[in-house]
Amino acid sequence: MNWTRQRERGSTAGLRLMAWIVTRLGFRVGYALLYPIAAYFFLSSSVQRAAIRRFQRRALGREPALRDVFRPFFVFSATLLDRLFLLDGRRRGYQLQVVGLDLLNERIARGEGCILLGAHLGSFDAMRAVADTGCPVEVVALMHQNNAVNAAAFFAQWGPRQAAATIPLGQPDAMLKAKECLERGGLVGILADRTPGTGKVMRVPFLGAPATFPLGPHILAGVLGAPVMIAFGVWTGPRRYEVHFQPFADRIAFGRRDRQAALEAVTRDYAARIERIARAFPDNWFNFYDFWEEMDAR
Amino acid sequence: MGYNAATRPGGRLILSTVMATEAEVAALIVEALHLEVTPAEIDPEAPLFGDGLGLDSIDALEIALAVSRRYGFQLRSDDEHNGQIFASLRNLAAHIEKNRAR
Repeated sequence: MNWTRQRERGSTAGLRLMAWIVTRLGFRVGYALLYPIAAYFFLSSSVQRAAIRRFQRRALGREPALRDVFRPFFVFSATLLDRLFLLDGRRRGYQLQVVGLDLLNERIARGEGCILLGAHLGSFDAMRAVADTGCPVEVVALMHQNNAVNAAAFFAQWGPRQAAATIPLGQPDAMLKAKECLERGGLVGILADRTPGTGKVMRVPFLGAPATFPLGPHILAGVLGAPVMIAFGVWTGPRRYEVHFQPFADRIAFGRRDRQAALEAVTRDYAARIERIARAFPDNWFNFYDFWEEMDAR
Repeated sequence: MGYNAATRPGGRLILSTVMATEAEVAALIVEALHLEVTPAEIDPEAPLFGDGLGLDSIDALEIALAVSRRYGFQLRSDDEHNGQIFASLRNLAAHIEKNRAR
């Protein structure tokens, strides 16, 4: 089952309650409440549990214990709690350790724009919080909007400025907007691990078995000749994040004839890189769905 | 260009120009996107995106780049008429005809 067809878990009532709690009662109470909240989602989401189990068997190389399977549910809830603070600009008490910022700054200084490829691994808000601390150029994020619409609407209200820096995928001019941002020397963030279910995709090896990855982000980089870096922000403890910027490709070049082969090479590279990061930070893997498309065909 | 203006009576010139541009843009789209249809098979009034030809925003980007190379002007995301421009081959060709620099 593709993630776009998986029902959105939880309602905005839960998010509203959490927002009320953190506004009135602060981080510590919010954090303590993460245990029952994560436990609720853990216990009531059997499909998601099974999906995480499959990921962990491959990433950990052993049969995961129950507490292993619980961890991503907890860490994901923690990043949602932090999103409420970070979107609101309440950075006090947070420690964002940044690795590889020099490389990104070099790119920015060259004024040629840069594509930041991420994955549903860790916190997008931690990355954005780093960008907000004095990034001299425009930062936008290309986002699928067809899943979790209620949550998206809620967070758009909570952080209108960040929502405004989001380009919804699905409109014909989404990639034109990305192109124009790059031409202005800006940064374009894209999560390149989920496919919208149709369109330009490729199956490449990921943690030992083929999984489907989108080609769109790499085509964007290729046709524009834009440099690409890998970016992700992982949760490492309460209000602790490690935000990484890593080199990926100076320029993805493909001609008309070798286009498919070049796209396959770069998609394999991306999957291999995400594989390494997922093994290093398995608790931050937030693809709570049938990533290898194997659960329907038992 | 795909037509000879001198042989056309004045009144039909604009219409034939639009149709010639339509055929030319259809060919440009097929070539730029490596589509497996012939240019003549693209219904000029069918939606290019979604249900019709089924193009996506990556295709729109590639069309925009091809248009800028061939016709010397940029399709831009801040054009408020984008919904209309990208709605069909006919609309796109008309927009190109109006804005082309070459």
